[in-house]
Amino acid sequence: MNPNLQNESLGRREFLWRAGNGFGALALAQLLGAEDAVPPRARTELNCGLHHPAKARRVIQLFMNGGASQMDLFDYKPELFKRHGQKFDPGIGERVEAATSAPGMVMKPPFEFKQHGHCGRWVSSLFPHIAGRVDDMAFLMALASKTNVHGPASYMMNTGFLAPGHPCLGAWVSYGLGRLTDNLPTFVVLPDARGLPYNQKGNFTAGFLPITHQGTAINAHLPAPIANLAPSGTPKFITHESEQDGLALLARLNRRHAAMHPAHGQLESRIESYELAARLQMHAPETLDIAKESAVTQKLYGLDDKVTEDFGRRCLMARRLAERGVRFIQIWSGAGGPKNNWDNHSDIHNELPAMTRATDKPIAGLLADLKARGLLEDTLVVWSTEFGRMPFTQGATGRDHNGGTSVAWLAGAGIKGGTTFGESDPWSWKAAEDKTYCYDLHATILHLLGIDHEKLAVRHNGIDRRLTDVHGEVVRSILA
Amino acid sequence: MTQLVQCLIASTLAAVLLHSHAQPAPDVAKSDWWSLQPLKRAAAPKLSVADTKWARTPIDAFIAARLNGKQLSPSPEADRRTLIRRVYFDLIGLPPTPEAVAAFVADKNPQAYEALVDTLLASPRHGERWARHWMDAVHFAETHGHDQDRIRPNAWPYRDYLIESFNQDKPYGRFVQEQIAADTLFPSEPGLTPALGLLAAGPWDESSLRDIREDTLDREIARYIDRDDIVATVMSTFTSTTVHCARCHNHKFDPIPQQDYYNLQAVFAGVGRGNVPYDADPQLPRMRRELLAQQAALQRRDKALFDSLAAPALQTEIAAWERNLSATPPVVWAVLEPTTVNSAEGATLTKQPDHSVLSSGKRPEKDTYTIRAHSDLKGVTAVRLELLTDDSLALKGPGRQDNGNLHLSEIQIRAVPRGQKIEPKLLIIAHASADFDQTGWTIRHAIDGNPATAWGIYPQVGKPHQAIFELKETAGHDGGTLWTIALEQQHGGGHLIGRLRLSITTSPRPVRISPLSDALAKILATPAAQRTDEQKRDLALHFLREKIEKALAALPAQRQVFAATGNFLPDGSHKPMPTVRPVHLLKRGEITKPGEQASPGGLSCIPGMPARFDLAKPEDEGARRAALARWLSHTNNPLTWRSIANRVWHHHFGRGLVDTPNDFGRMGGLPSHPELLDWLAVEFRDGGGSLKKLHRLIVTSAVYRQSSQHNARAAQVDADNRLLWRQNQSRLDAESLRDAVLQVTGRLDLRMGGPSDQQFAVSPGIHVTPNVDYNKFDWDSPAARRRGVYRFIFRTLPDPFMDALDCPDASLLTPVRANSVNALQALALLNDAFILRQSEHFAARISAAAKTLDEQIATACQLAFARAPEKIEREEMRAYAAKHGLVNLCRLLLNSNEFIFLD
Repeated sequence: MNPNLQNESLGRREFLWRAGNGFGALALAQLLGAEDAVPPRARTELNCGLHHPAKARRVIQLFMNGGASQMDLFDYKPELFKRHGQKFDPGIGERVEAATSAPGMVMKPPFEFKQHGHCGRWVSSLFPHIAGRVDDMAFLMALASKTNVHGPASYMMNTGFLAPGHPCLGAWVSYGLGRLTDNLPTFVVLPDARGLPYNQKGNFTAGFLPITHQGTAINAHLPAPIANLAPSGTPKFITHESEQDGLALLARLNRRHAAMHPAHGQLESRIESYELAARLQMHAPETLDIAKESAVTQKLYGLDDKVTEDFGRRCLMARRLAERGVRFIQIWSGAGGPKNNWDNHSDIHNELPAMTRATDKPIAGLLADLKARGLLEDTLVVWSTEFGRMPFTQGATGRDHNGGTSVAWLAGAGIKGGTTFGESDPWSWKAAEDKTYCYDLHATILHLLGIDHEKLAVRHNGIDRRLTDVHGEVVRSILA
Repeated sequence: MTQLVQCLIASTLAAVLLHSHAQPAPDVAKSDWWSLQPLKRAAAPKLSVADTKWARTPIDAFIAARLNGKQLSPSPEADRRTLIRRVYFDLIGLPPTPEAVAAFVADKNPQAYEALVDTLLASPRHGERWARHWMDAVHFAETHGHDQDRIRPNAWPYRDYLIESFNQDKPYGRFVQEQIAADTLFPSEPGLTPALGLLAAGPWDESSLRDIREDTLDREIARYIDRDDIVATVMSTFTSTTVHCARCHNHKFDPIPQQDYYNLQAVFAGVGRGNVPYDADPQLPRMRRELLAQQAALQRRDKALFDSLAAPALQTEIAAWERNLSATPPVVWAVLEPTTVNSAEGATLTKQPDHSVLSSGKRPEKDTYTIRAHSDLKGVTAVRLELLTDDSLALKGPGRQDNGNLHLSEIQIRAVPRGQKIEPKLLIIAHASADFDQTGWTIRHAIDGNPATAWGIYPQVGKPHQAIFELKETAGHDGGTLWTIALEQQHGGGHLIGRLRLSITTSPRPVRISPLSDALAKILATPAAQRTDEQKRDLALHFLREKIEKALAALPAQRQVFAATGNFLPDGSHKPMPTVRPVHLLKRGEITKPGEQASPGGLSCIPGMPARFDLAKPEDEGARRAALARWLSHTNNPLTWRSIANRVWHHHFGRGLVDTPNDFGRMGGLPSHPELLDWLAVEFRDGGGSLKKLHRLIVTSAVYRQSSQHNARAAQVDADNRLLWRQNQSRLDAESLRDAVLQVTGRLDLRMGGPSDQQFAVSPGIHVTPNVDYNKFDWDSPAARRRGVYRFIFRTLPDPFMDALDCPDASLLTPVRANSVNALQALALLNDAFILRQSEHFAARISAAAKTLDEQIATACQLAFARAPEKIEREEMRAYAAKHGLVNLCRLLLNSNEFIFLD
């Protein structure tokens, strides 16, 4: 077990971090907008699960922004090769429509497919490294969306709803399970160096949950990766000593003030919040310092190559954050907008390989590293996107959005490697068998964390809101 | 319980529900739920002798009665320093100055507090404070949200409307009506149009509603989701009901059938969100309407109008105009007949019989046309470029772009003596004028030497245009001149000239665009007596056309507000509908399972209020909204009046009498003091809906004025203080804290209104959403200093500092702000650039105000805490400031609990 993991009992400090306590807990929860909710408590006897024993202690989610082209990566369809260049006619009388263009001709993947691993998973030549780890992965091969538009689709895959304003998966996990450490945030987001994804911070919002469950963005490529961790602009009047003396004086002022206001819990919480802030200031820089890693490890993540450096750095940081107790880490590949992401409307031949080259080695490296350190046993790794792409062309060699089906995979804690669930139609146009939605993926992730997705609910504006809305079934066949 | 009470809404329309959720239709007639009952004015309870001494308003009697029931008694009145700070923040959102505190503490007048309240309610700061609360409730922000998070440059007039309405103390019923249907209900007051910003305040999915193909299911789903946001905003805000829970099935807990929900969607079936033009001056629309009617009559060759052209009065006017005109002789143009034409990028340029040049064939991204021509004219003062239409061009041109537009980056004019082989020199253009400039693409851009800027004529496509380039020095040589004119078109995207013609003139300068066409110039050159009837008519028509255009141009420009109505400016494929869209009840909320068509209506569960709107013209979308506005603001609608009374109470006590201000249904809280809530609602409604009277009533009550100090015995009985045995404590909300910092440091700028302050650097993004960088903002710029209500909120990328202080996610309706405390918030208050810079200002202020360190510390404490420092505090602060400087000390004071909390 990892020695860095902190005491897991959720004591008073944890409660204060999450909520503060002004009125009684119930009233406070109401003030926070969580109308009837006393924040739940993870239970030590359930391996820190909430409703049943947890298999996973933490999650690393890899989100491919833009709609990764499933039939060019994992969803091998011989029919596309046979009917390349023909008019697309699924022959079921259903109207073929595309979000941003008129449907073109059937296009075969311009990449070679081979079977890999003991499980014989088909993977295209774009993922040579990931292909080597398919026996650790479980694939959802028919993961559908309810829209073909980036904004709502990204909200859906992150928050379970098409409209904005709902808490995302990471926020729910933070809310449901709380912290593993006082030294770092519970939920961390590592955006692409080229920019934030579609919906920007809307994808990692806490919605109506307390703000502390919002994803803390760590911009790995910036000199100051965490906003306001250190004084902005490094003003001259602040020195190490002025900070030490200042925090001590502030604590004295605040304690004196609190003494005049007995039983005002929020005053105490604020005093403690400065102590927690100091811990964060102490531990975050060390956590993010990947120079401490050996050359071999850095190479494993592709840090020695410009192409893989950005994504690799963030994968390596994710491992360091995970070992030090961060509960949920989300790594984004691709910024919003029409290029530098997985939204390959113009030219699959060139646009897609640029994305796979940047991510293939780092992802495989992350999996190998987690496994070698024993972390994969209780860390769940998830690879997903907001929707798939069309089997026919857009323009000459591009592909349009396809909410009909996409692929996601899970690996690590509690996952039965080498399995698949679901199958798309012969063209990878729509989900055909064992169709899943984000609800099922989310339910499965929560399940592995020891949470019953139907029980994790918070009242907001008259409705008991869940991550999975009124849907969701745990995909049991991919569980170990 | 949690599962039992779950409202099984599927918030995605194509929901596939695993179980059948068919709910029996609620028995509306039998509904006895408290919030739906007619309002009744309860008599205030009788008071004990002790309570009579304590009570100041009827409110106190209701509170005292409940406290007595639990053998509790109210807390003593807060001290004056606490009281003034509390009431300042509650009514105007700012701290009192040390002088105001001192004056109030020393004021012997027994009515000093009431006088203070009146002063605060009369302050323009009051409207700013309460507008911000309202903006939370209706999730107002100034970008679209979603993946195309575009800036809405015209959203702010709604915010100014709110501030003005609260400051004017607009009767609440009227306030409600204006925000739903100002355009329909008060057409003679077009200045109220910004009120409709409410309906458009929330996020808008531009990709789905504007950019994807119109014939997709995704577009139709997005329309339902869009109306859902409007319905939820209106009904949550005004009636505190969760009607949006009835999207997929009948409401599980409240008597709201699914039909009601879709009937409410039908109310908004004809609206779209967009920029809505309006006039602030009520006279303007009439004048504009009349002028536009005349213009239309001219265009359709209206017979009555044509018959009136010979009227003597008009003829006299025309004669006077002509005399004036003849003082400036018309410019005579000589058309240049091209000898050679060349396209740098291989477009086909063909000379036409009228000496124009037509472009066809390959359409390059960018191009430069070079045209050579000979002329014998000397003393040439100007060159004219005519852009002509042609049937071969998209939309008839005059450009080659699909939208008929073109962009002329630069024009270069050269002239050399005929036959001489010398390097032709570039002629200097002194002035350029055009008959029309596209916004941001003026003719000046064609002579500014910058190929990145250009002239354009969009949206005035499909008609000819011209530009005149006046030369600095006259040109033309003895023995003839070779003219070489290069037209650079470097914008890209095929924005090229489709057909053009060049002319020169020797008319004396200035040579500017003339309103006279060649045909008209010919008429004017003909003596009046010799003109044909047709010529006379054409002259009169021209005169009228010009007169109307001038009159229209002289009217102040219309303003715009981002709002939702049936009539907004089109934006791509998002445009007003000729009629309302059909809205269907969607079975299980699924777009593929449309049921009956819905007809506009309200809730069916309110006794005495009609459920369906009886509309004379149901196809009139404005009438639908007007009916809902009347329904909401009706005196018999108990929800509306209870809802607002509770909201006001909420903001004065940190919690409403009903602690779920957006939900008065069975899933919401129950009123802690139901009779008091009704009494307040009736008092408010029957007193003319004056919010200021309601504020005054509440903040002058004894219960409001109580101390917030803990009382162990009372806490045992009522830990949550539902019975209000004391006032509640709270952390300052994000804007109050921010504004308080600015006031304390002396940097607060009280300038009101207008476009919001963007406290970030903004640059073009890779796609629609701009890049927003909070780190690059200059905290000494004027945009840094106004009140928080004027701060621009970027929906998907809010200010991290304000975020940390629970400034809500503007994608959510937020009736109740969170009041959290956490480590990231501490870091924001310690290290954010705003606080650091303000600490420096604070230090500069106290240094200027006082000489010795002790005096400076005393001043700082007065400003931040409205009190003198205790001896020990002064000693500690002195030691710290002496060692680390005043700025560091000021930073600590701004971080202190005493500054940040309100008692």
